[in-house]
Amino acid sequence: MFTSANAPLTAPVRPGGTLERWAERHLRILMLAPTMLILLGLTIFPSIYMFYAAVHKISPNPDVPWDFVGPGNFLRLLSDQQFHVALLNTSVFTVSAVTAEFLLGLGLALLLDKYVRRLTFLKTVLMIPMMLPPIAVAITWKIIYEPQFGVLNEIMFRLGLPAQAWAGDASLAMFSIIVADVWQWTPFMFLLMLAGLASLPVEPYEAAELDGASSWRQFWDLTVPFLKPVIAIALLLRVMDALRLFDLVFILTGGGPADRTKVLSLYIYQVAYRFADIGYAAAISLFVLFVTIVLSTWFMKRMRLAE
Amino acid sequence: MLRRLFFTLAIATSVLALNGAAWADITILVPSSSEGDGLRAAAADYSKLKGTKVEIVQAPYANVFEQGANAGATKSGVFDIILMDDPWIPFFAENGHLEDMTAYFKSAGMEGPDSDFLSKSLAICRNPYNTGPYVCLPYVGNAQMFFYDATKFKEAGVDAPKTWDDVLKAGKALTDSGGGRYFGYVFRGGQGNPVVADFMPIFWSYGADLFNADRTKVTIDTPEGAAAMKTFIALRDISPKGVESYNANEVGTALAAGAAASSINWPNWVATFEDPSQSKMVGKISYSTIPAGTKPGSSEIGHWTMGIMAASKNKQEAFDFTVWATSAEQIKISATRGNPPVRTSVFTDPELTSQEKFRHYPVLMEAIQASTPRPRHPKWPEIENAFGIELSKAVAGTITPEEALKNSQTAVEQITGLK
Repeated sequence: MFTSANAPLTAPVRPGGTLERWAERHLRILMLAPTMLILLGLTIFPSIYMFYAAVHKISPNPDVPWDFVGPGNFLRLLSDQQFHVALLNTSVFTVSAVTAEFLLGLGLALLLDKYVRRLTFLKTVLMIPMMLPPIAVAITWKIIYEPQFGVLNEIMFRLGLPAQAWAGDASLAMFSIIVADVWQWTPFMFLLMLAGLASLPVEPYEAAELDGASSWRQFWDLTVPFLKPVIAIALLLRVMDALRLFDLVFILTGGGPADRTKVLSLYIYQVAYRFADIGYAAAISLFVLFVTIVLSTWFMKRMRLAE
Repeated sequence: MLRRLFFTLAIATSVLALNGAAWADITILVPSSSEGDGLRAAAADYSKLKGTKVEIVQAPYANVFEQGANAGATKSGVFDIILMDDPWIPFFAENGHLEDMTAYFKSAGMEGPDSDFLSKSLAICRNPYNTGPYVCLPYVGNAQMFFYDATKFKEAGVDAPKTWDDVLKAGKALTDSGGGRYFGYVFRGGQGNPVVADFMPIFWSYGADLFNADRTKVTIDTPEGAAAMKTFIALRDISPKGVESYNANEVGTALAAGAAASSINWPNWVATFEDPSQSKMVGKISYSTIPAGTKPGSSEIGHWTMGIMAASKNKQEAFDFTVWATSAEQIKISATRGNPPVRTSVFTDPELTSQEKFRHYPVLMEAIQASTPRPRHPKWPEIENAFGIELSKAVAGTITPEEALKNSQTAVEQITGLK
């Protein structure tokens, strides 16, 4: 065993008492400990608690012991019509909103990337909705949709068109929610697509040009395959987020009219906090988590990202 | 040096965080609305007067229920007093979240609340309704009234609407001549609590109710219920497009802007309608009790009440504050801050009734005394939700009124286990 000629023969004596020296030695752990404890308290413990709660009937009365019901809460999902409505509405919303956001985001990115590359101000403006707090977006759209005094109906009225109950009409309410969500989250898609386009190699396009490939062929055979990983990530993130939709529905429609906009997050909130049925709410939450994991895994495999 | 400073700061922050909640003698959970603002002002007065530290925690309406329920379920004792909407009382009382006040009244040498409180205001603070022990004291005397533009109604051939038929007659004429910009009636049609709150007075005015007298049967799908539903749908037809999503703000705005001629509404809107900076209708809106159907009209009572949390560690202090805040003197001060009173002496106080802004007091007092509480059931939030969904569907026209009644009957039977 060799030691460096310059290495001290004994450990350096540090100033201070025993506690200070101990703190000095374990400083990294001490610095990380609060974060780890918070993480444990805010994510690990609630997750375990949720699993535990999902197999119990929990009374809001603290003196009533928890009643173990096994899979009972999960079996309730099969016969709960409000849950089925919320599941259907969430699916309709997720598919419609994410598809529209993707197509618009990709279209805008192609347009701005190719033709107006220098308009950074416009790009910044387009990103504003995404930066707004969801609650502010919801309130803004509530004012826009207001049937009597809202901007949208005022325009309709001035154009001689019939006013619409945008958030109040059972056949329009979900569409109105989707429009507000598309307005807020299209910039997210746009941003990712723009970043993806900026990273594309130039050579294949030059070769395609020489071969006389049309713009459409270049887009379909080069851009789309190259962008596939970015598209996959963007869609995955948006789908996961859309499944958790809450703010817009809570503020704009409260789940109505006629249950047409009741989504899973809103239903979980109602079950947990209005009906004080924590066990069943935990079971629905676990179901949503399960669906999200299954969808994500399937999606990743489909997009060949798994490997 | 820097490290020592870091450790000292970390320890100091932790100690402050642990003790932050415990600085007050009483902590009160209130809604972030005029009711909560009134109690906040009273709490500041109490602190100055008695030297007791009172902390007010304000939260939006729905969050007050959630936070109170969580505090009760966990026995955290974080709140000593909760300012509750009266339909919440059965939930909080029957789940052991509220303190029975009987022993506190006895130790204070009192039989119970004094007789100056309106009888209907006191009845809701007992659980079971009007017969059980007191679990709260009334603070804000809300009950629905009928608000209407008397000039417009007169133009439409109805001097003062006494029945729903009168409202429909004038309302239809006004909507027909309004050109899509003015409407004879407006109501809260939003799914859940809003649509139920505006339907119940009509339901009652046709002799219908959710349960029979001894609460052994659900009685929604009845001929009386059908008659009420027929009127409700007729009122929808003369209301603005989009009323299916309306809540209190939209209804209040429509009336204040002079875009609608009438509605059922709560008295806390009077201040808005009489404020020139917020209303085009200052001095033009008349107030009456709920119109009759086949039976006399009845308002939905919606009092804000103060209950002591069972897990409170400062129950005596909480009781003392509650009694002080609901005294005649304090209720009068609260009235001047915009909260409707719960005491006869304040309703009839000439100093108040001589003022224009309190001209609705005689009607409001009558409305409270003729009011009906929402069905007192610990599962009321669930019942209201189910009933609200079906009413919303009927208002939106996705099902027929008959189907709405039938579905509501089935849903409430399932929730309550009654047939």
